[in-house]
Amino acid sequence: MVHAQAEETRVDWESALVQRARGGDRRAFERLYREHVGRVYGLCLRMTRDAQLAEDCTQDTFINAWRALGKFETRSSLSTWLHRIAVNVSLARRRKSGPVEPLPAEEQETAAEWTLETPVEVQELENAIGALPEGARDALVLHALYGYSHGEAARMLGIAEGTCKAQLHRARRLLRERLGMEVN
Amino acid sequence: MTGPTDTNGRTVASLRELPQSIEPARDLWPGIESQLTALPAQDSAQGAGPGYRRALRLRWLAAAAMLSCLAVGIWIGRSLLPGAAVGHLPPSTASRSTVPGLAPTALDAAYVSDPRYERQRRALVRALQERLAVLPPPARAKVTASLAAIEKAKKDLEGALGQDPGNALLQELLINTYQDEMRVLTDVHEASDSGRGI
Repeated sequence: MVHAQAEETRVDWESALVQRARGGDRRAFERLYREHVGRVYGLCLRMTRDAQLAEDCTQDTFINAWRALGKFETRSSLSTWLHRIAVNVSLARRRKSGPVEPLPAEEQETAAEWTLETPVEVQELENAIGALPEGARDALVLHALYGYSHGEAARMLGIAEGTCKAQLHRARRLLRERLGMEVN
Repeated sequence: MTGPTDTNGRTVASLRELPQSIEPARDLWPGIESQLTALPAQDSAQGAGPGYRRALRLRWLAAAAMLSCLAVGIWIGRSLLPGAAVGHLPPSTASRSTVPGLAPTALDAAYVSDPRYERQRRALVRALQERLAVLPPPARAKVTASLAAIEKAKKDLEGALGQDPGNALLQELLINTYQDEMRVLTDVHEASDSGRGI
């Protein structure tokens, strides 16, 4: 209850900052940046696997967000909106550097908890995720790490929901192989 | 890929346990800000989508408090000061309980710690009580309602600060509300000092 109230208050004031930023208040926008940069950069880093590229994507994300603030609906989540922009920016940057791998069509993912049979070190798991093919990694990061549904992740990535599930299935199989353990 | 820097040796049993937030190695804001500065003016003029029209509860409260103060100031200046009748109203109606805006709160000390402020405020409150006692009922009701709106805004802001004590915006709005209250009190007090009467 208290947490819900705190969250509501935070969101209220985030909306207030968005309104001020829409009016051209850069100080308000900087506060929004400080609040969200970690999650945006974390997503960009996992999608690009390159710290410098992730920094560029993060900067572009916030610049694009500033330009598009007038289109943002304050009743929706700013965090999700920024993530959508970050995904678009990261995908665009990646397209410049190479084609996206084709996906085996027969693989389909069902509901998964993404728990590990045996705990592993964070860095080992991050490395295993980083070594996944781009499409599988994108779907995994959005769905298993950031908690977006299959549909939301698919929309962000501009792919069909079935394709997203297939990528997740592939990601799970590859993680299982690379970590040498079951991913449930 | 560079992973989170504060996870040395930590183990996780689920992908959901991985940190969602990773801080970049350097502050990216200066670069962002410089690019925002370089944007054409029309890009920074944000449009008014459907969300823009949605009022924000706490922001409205602060705005309401400021508007109330402004309205009271204008009303005092235009309607009360020039020549309203004096002494034809019962003084007994101006009790402190009719002025909810004047009750000190726990957070007063945290944000308004200057003893001079407190002394001045107390003096103004006493003067206000005298002025309220001789005001016509409609005028007294307006002043009281305005101070009540300010008090409600203070309480709401203090409540929000209780949830988020470090929020600079909330602190700023709360101080603004204190200043609004002081402005109303001062207006009434100066009217009394000038001898113009209400």
